[in-house]
Amino acid sequence: MSDPDEPKPDGGTASQPEGESPELEDHPLEWDEPENNDLAPDERASVSRPAQKDDDPKLVTGQAKYTADYETQFPDLARAAVVRSEILHGYVTDIDASAAEEMDGVHAVLTPWSEGTPDAKYTSAGQSYPEPSPWDMTVLNEHVRYVGDPIAAVAAEDAETARAAAESIEVEYEEAEYVLDPEAAHSEDAPRLFEEDEVENEIVGHDYSRNRMAHIEGEIGDVEDAVAREDVHVHETEWETIRQSHAQIEPHTTLAYTDEDDRHVLVTSTQVPNHTRRQLAHLFDVPIRDVRVSKPRVGGGFGGKQAMVVEPIPLALSIAADRPVLYEATREEEFHAMRSRHPMTVRARTAVTEDGSIEAIDLYALSNTGAYGSHGMTVAGNVGSKPMPLYSKVPNARFEADIVHTNTPQTGAMRGYGAPQGTLALEGHLDEVARDLDLDPVEFRQRHYMEVGDLDEIAGMMGGEGAERRIRSCGLDECIERGKDAIGWDDVEQPDEDHLHRGIGMALSAQGTGVAGDELGAAQLMMNEDGSFHLHVGGVDIGTGADTAFIQIAAEVLGCDEEDIVIKSSDTDVTPFDYGAYASSTTYISGMAVKKAAEDAKERILYWGSKLLEEPESNLDTGDGTVYSEETGASVSLEEIGYEAAYGHDEREHILGKGTHCTEESPPPFAAQFADVTVDEETGEFEVTELVVAVDCGVAINPGMAEGQVEGANHMSYEMAVSEGITFDDEGRSEVRGFDDYDWPTAAETPTIESILVETHEPTGPFGAKSVAEVPTNTVPPALSNAIREAVGVRITEMPITAEKINAALEDDG
Amino acid sequence: MHIDCTINGNERMFEVSKSDLLLDVLRRNGYTGAKRGCDTGACGMCTVQIDGEPTMSCVTPVAKADGATVETIEGLGTQDDLHPVQQAFVDNSALQCGFCIPGMIMRSKALLEENPDPTEAEVREALSDNLCRCTGYKKIVEAVLDASDRLAEQAVAADGGRAATDRCCDCHCAGDRPTGADRRGETDR
Repeated sequence: MSDPDEPKPDGGTASQPEGESPELEDHPLEWDEPENNDLAPDERASVSRPAQKDDDPKLVTGQAKYTADYETQFPDLARAAVVRSEILHGYVTDIDASAAEEMDGVHAVLTPWSEGTPDAKYTSAGQSYPEPSPWDMTVLNEHVRYVGDPIAAVAAEDAETARAAAESIEVEYEEAEYVLDPEAAHSEDAPRLFEEDEVENEIVGHDYSRNRMAHIEGEIGDVEDAVAREDVHVHETEWETIRQSHAQIEPHTTLAYTDEDDRHVLVTSTQVPNHTRRQLAHLFDVPIRDVRVSKPRVGGGFGGKQAMVVEPIPLALSIAADRPVLYEATREEEFHAMRSRHPMTVRARTAVTEDGSIEAIDLYALSNTGAYGSHGMTVAGNVGSKPMPLYSKVPNARFEADIVHTNTPQTGAMRGYGAPQGTLALEGHLDEVARDLDLDPVEFRQRHYMEVGDLDEIAGMMGGEGAERRIRSCGLDECIERGKDAIGWDDVEQPDEDHLHRGIGMALSAQGTGVAGDELGAAQLMMNEDGSFHLHVGGVDIGTGADTAFIQIAAEVLGCDEEDIVIKSSDTDVTPFDYGAYASSTTYISGMAVKKAAEDAKERILYWGSKLLEEPESNLDTGDGTVYSEETGASVSLEEIGYEAAYGHDEREHILGKGTHCTEESPPPFAAQFADVTVDEETGEFEVTELVVAVDCGVAINPGMAEGQVEGANHMSYEMAVSEGITFDDEGRSEVRGFDDYDWPTAAETPTIESILVETHEPTGPFGAKSVAEVPTNTVPPALSNAIREAVGVRITEMPITAEKINAALEDDG
Repeated sequence: MHIDCTINGNERMFEVSKSDLLLDVLRRNGYTGAKRGCDTGACGMCTVQIDGEPTMSCVTPVAKADGATVETIEGLGTQDDLHPVQQAFVDNSALQCGFCIPGMIMRSKALLEENPDPTEAEVREALSDNLCRCTGYKKIVEAVLDASDRLAEQAVAADGGRAATDRCCDCHCAGDRPTGADRRGETDR
């Protein structure tokens, strides 16, 4: 990892060579925080108040527009359907599309050999540039590597015709050997998915002769030396995670057309409008300025839309058909041809002294990236770099990962981004070690975990110098205390029936907030003459309520009502640049850009207030829709200022503010998870009665929204623990074709989830905020495994946790 | 062929083909509140009411709507004047991306028409045909229990009984009926 141009495993690009230890002065504890950033709860007018979500009235009345809802606005709209590989691995030798081309109502048919099909290599990963993912795919593929790989596409007057035309296309293949198991794939005898010349932008540690797209490793101290010591016990455990589907409720949907200026316009359900614009310009060989990507309401993303999954197909079809084209992925396509969480095997090893001092932690992950490498290396990097820093006091630490191709569906970014896999392994492992040594699992953790002031070197272990960080806010102690109280940790009553046993398990988690050194958000604010504002922000609201958080941040600075701010977010023609909604960055990065834009505008507002009040600006502040003087109590409304600035006699100005934010910081939010389970020792059946998760997210900009994020994330985490995810039949074909086959817990099957927000203050974040929505995605699998261990003494290491596995373990035990 | 139906109180006539599904016809005609989530009746995004029954419109032949009364999310409150169920979802922070919400609200409305005073377990059971990926369901369930209280208060007020404005405070302690918060303890989990 010493090449400064190499992408680094947490998603950024290393800017300095490694090798030197971090200089403490590079990471000072003191932070030059502006006074207005650290408001006490009673000083906050908008921030951390339960503001109604800006788009709620539209959402509850069905007026909100998602991509597909624009269909009625385009009378000549064509619909797209895609022909996908029916074989696991091989080459397309012939395509007979004549029947489709002759069908009434068919406007365009594209194959890999059509003139209008882009043939450049790219990655679907929506990441910064240069992408830390290999360019290993084309829009329509001759060399197919999984059941679901796109081969041809059709645009027709309606969806039924498009589907019928797609079904009439006959594809001939030359089949090749395939491999499904990542361990088998990672051998020199395995069928190869890629020849060297089929990949551009290759990633560190790649070895396509054994299907490895990347190998990464990092170490601080000397793990082998610690493990070899005579005074330590070495513990080793191995963990397996599921192939989880994002199952975002709105399928991947894109509407594409070319406008009167020959510019390509995409209305699309995406988390990354700016990255998508750049990638489309590359694929279609047009200037970036000639692509417009606009994001309407988005029906959930969870990382599944941090990728350019479908956009090129409707755009190519719309150019070929010379009319707007709408592509809505079917639910079946969502499960077998879009993206999923990387399934992994993670080995955890520690060296621990008799009295419970952890001398070394060592994690190794074998990640199954599926047929293509999008997000493969960066997700695997986070298996180590997110959970391991929790134990920043451990002197020796190592992480290593192999990321391997198999002929299975594509994986990608998903909420937690590798941290769930690593957290299961680490928190399950440490719990087991504590039990081995007869130590209290909570105290055992507390002896080693992060505190304010710690220099976290583990975070930078694989990213080159610069990714280390100073911990400036940490609420772990309070998370644990409040979580324990809420779940009744100290008073666990056993059921009356002898065969039922109750246990409470716990797990900790840390995440990041944005990608250190590799983020950018920007915003601009325009003041209207009536004192209201238009806020334009590149930050992307995919349903989290980010737009509302932006409004609250701006309103806090401007001292106005939230209703006086109209927001427009995520339209590349209109809104400033932003990396997109991922890595828990939105409130922290884009929100700080909004704060800066509002402060920039506020400066001009105070200038005009000073003119009107005839007092020095230093006496003035904004609040309650006015500029007021703290000295004299005089005030002038924002509306008066707006009119004076726009229509004044001697001087005029359109009051505008702009803000751009990027940072080397990525402060971790923390979570403490508790799970209460009752297990029947005769059958292995278990019932989770309650999940409690306490999260330190700094200051919650909107507590109601933050709780919702925590509860939704914890539900997704619970699903990782107890449901099977996407499974395959003996021939490697996805068995999940719809929601009925994908058994995530319904409302009736979901335990009570209690979310607790623990407020700390992160000085680098807007008004003290750090991230909230990923960290609770990591914690239920280990907490539940730990709870079952507590209840009936058996350890389940392979997800999902099922009655059959518990029963089998009990029988082995007995 | 054509069908006649009453949508949200308005009599409408649609030209349709026999194989058309209700969701397609609704969406083609501008009723885009009902969402397409799966096309197999498995997620509930497209839930509307036909003659008062919650119905997955993505698997319902349009002929079923012929002569029937159809209610969609567009027929409930407006943005300035929300229906109590809609208002309860907003006030309980019960929605994030919102894609499931039109179906969820139509399902909840149907539940509360049939069972005005459900327990938490009954709400969870009724909502099990409607999936949500964002919320973990907790705040949605709370919203439905809250909506139940609001509708009861509205009924009391309309009845000439104790008006909503007579309540001691803004909590839901009007009358003797248990509040949503009380009933949360009645779960059979």
